[in-house]
Amino acid sequence: MTLEKLKKHFPWITLVILVVLVGIMDPSFLSPTNLIRLAADISTLFIMALGMTFVIYIGGIDLSAQSVANMTTVIATLMLPILGVGAALFCIVVGFGFGFVSGFVSTKLKVPSFISTLAVGGIALSVGQYASGQRALYMDAEMRDQAFGWLVGSTAGIPHELIIALVLLALAYFVERRMTIGRALKAIGAGELAAVASGLQVDRFKMFAFALSGAFAAIAGLMFAVKLSGGSPVIANGFLLPAIVAVLVGGTPLTGGVGGVLNTFIGAMIVAVIRTSMLYLEIKATDQQIFFGIVLIAAIALTIDRSKMKTVK
Amino acid sequence: MSDFVSKEKLQKWAPLLVLIALICVFTFANSNFFSVRNFARIGIASAPALMIAVGVTYIIIMGSIDLSMEGAVAVSAVLFATLFIAMGGSLASWAWLALPLTLMIGGLFGLLNGLVHVKLKIPSFMASLSMGFVGIGLSLLITGGDRIRVEDPLFRSLLTERYLGFPLMVHCALVALLVGWFIQSYTKIGRNFYAVGGGEDLAHASGLNVKKVRVLGFMIAGAFYALGSLFAVAQIGIAETATGYNLMFVSITSVVVGGTALWGGNGGVWNSLIGVLIVNVINNGMIVIGLPRYLQDGVLGVLVIVAVVLSTDRKSLAFVK
Repeated sequence: MTLEKLKKHFPWITLVILVVLVGIMDPSFLSPTNLIRLAADISTLFIMALGMTFVIYIGGIDLSAQSVANMTTVIATLMLPILGVGAALFCIVVGFGFGFVSGFVSTKLKVPSFISTLAVGGIALSVGQYASGQRALYMDAEMRDQAFGWLVGSTAGIPHELIIALVLLALAYFVERRMTIGRALKAIGAGELAAVASGLQVDRFKMFAFALSGAFAAIAGLMFAVKLSGGSPVIANGFLLPAIVAVLVGGTPLTGGVGGVLNTFIGAMIVAVIRTSMLYLEIKATDQQIFFGIVLIAAIALTIDRSKMKTVK
Repeated sequence: MSDFVSKEKLQKWAPLLVLIALICVFTFANSNFFSVRNFARIGIASAPALMIAVGVTYIIIMGSIDLSMEGAVAVSAVLFATLFIAMGGSLASWAWLALPLTLMIGGLFGLLNGLVHVKLKIPSFMASLSMGFVGIGLSLLITGGDRIRVEDPLFRSLLTERYLGFPLMVHCALVALLVGWFIQSYTKIGRNFYAVGGGEDLAHASGLNVKKVRVLGFMIAGAFYALGSLFAVAQIGIAETATGYNLMFVSITSVVVGGTALWGGNGGVWNSLIGVLIVNVINNGMIVIGLPRYLQDGVLGVLVIVAVVLSTDRKSLAFVK
């Protein structure tokens, strides 16, 4: 196998190397229960990153995901007594709507996605603060268990959050590989002008990618709300950058057209392993950020495939 | 439209018109807005953000992006405070050396950032994002999470001493802006930023050492971030890891609102001045007219979109990422 062919496999090779390295230093890290818990702990972040992958895949960025998730925790808590399980659908529709607005501002008004999603994130933050009355809300335990009990708990030792994350991954993978939209997004990411020239409804597909990202962020928010049994407009803070990092480390660069949702799965696992390894290696709290940053540079340097980039901006 | 006001001219001045329009709207809503006292307040809030924005302007002109400023500011602020106090704790003593040293620290951080980006061939978005984590981490390592107080009255005079109604730091920031303008327009490296942003292949083909230009750009940006961190410390008299909080989004938003395109090759530091003022006038105006706190993020978002739509030339673009 040539190096060229091997490059595609760098992300998961990096993941395996990291796992083995930490495993050598502390064998208990490799126990199945620990690895499953590690995967389950990252599932919310992973779902957010999954949606973001579609936007990064077309060369954009979604900075609203965290605020949309925050807002969703509030909406889910408020809607639970009224809609029951239907609150989930309501949240996803709202998330989809916010994503769509980002997409509309970005494609139709030609505002760069960095700014448009940041601005829409600000709107989501305001909605969340307004709806919650700027305080933390709590779900009624009985109602929560009745409507969303299936979201928490575990079957045969596998936590349900992990199962949901994997189902969503399968769904996103299907969209990416087997549906017209997936192919269209790849075409847009690889070369937008060529996609326009070949008659593709580029704007429509782009807006849909942003909307999908919003919907996935809402699902992540919903899972937060159920797990923590409540909502607040700041509950998911600190998730935005790690989610972006998960997408990038997995090998979906911001240039678009390369990578995909499976890469994001590996990227999220790499982030999880780096984070957990810090506990195993007994790295002090004050040293963790710098450790994370340096390992991140190493991981990105290893995983990204530069052969398709003409210039590195 | 008449020949006197051509479309290009209008486009060029659009950000300034947006700023003037905003000032008129807020003055109309509450006449207290239009006072030297309030403008000084806006100036104080803008000074650190302006320095960060000037630094990142060069990077954006090159078509790259820098997300490391929060880390860079945290490191510079914390190291400045540590050095300043260790060397005597007053500008009247040898501790004044901490000022130039801090600028060098910022430059060094930027140099490292640029080297990671260019030598490891990591796109600037990811390289600088990671370096941001490293910067935050480094400042945590130095302080252990504590705050460092900088109480020297001479240093705090940046905030307390006023000339023509504006604190010293506003004047300093304007001088630094002139230096930034000089670098951009009257030095070789400044011209090269535009060459790289306008078309990297072409710049490379005509014999320009693009990699060197990029690394130098990040280094100069780092020095400006350090200057911003000094103003930020002077503002509240405290240096901590959170000193750089939110400066990343504010500065990049300002640069774009001011009319510098994220794909590089146009704009400049004057645009960034207007952009920073637009963002800070909106923030200040919302408080002056008594808009509830929970609405401010959303209103800022909507106004930023409107400002970008009005103030940037997007007609000639085939697509936007």
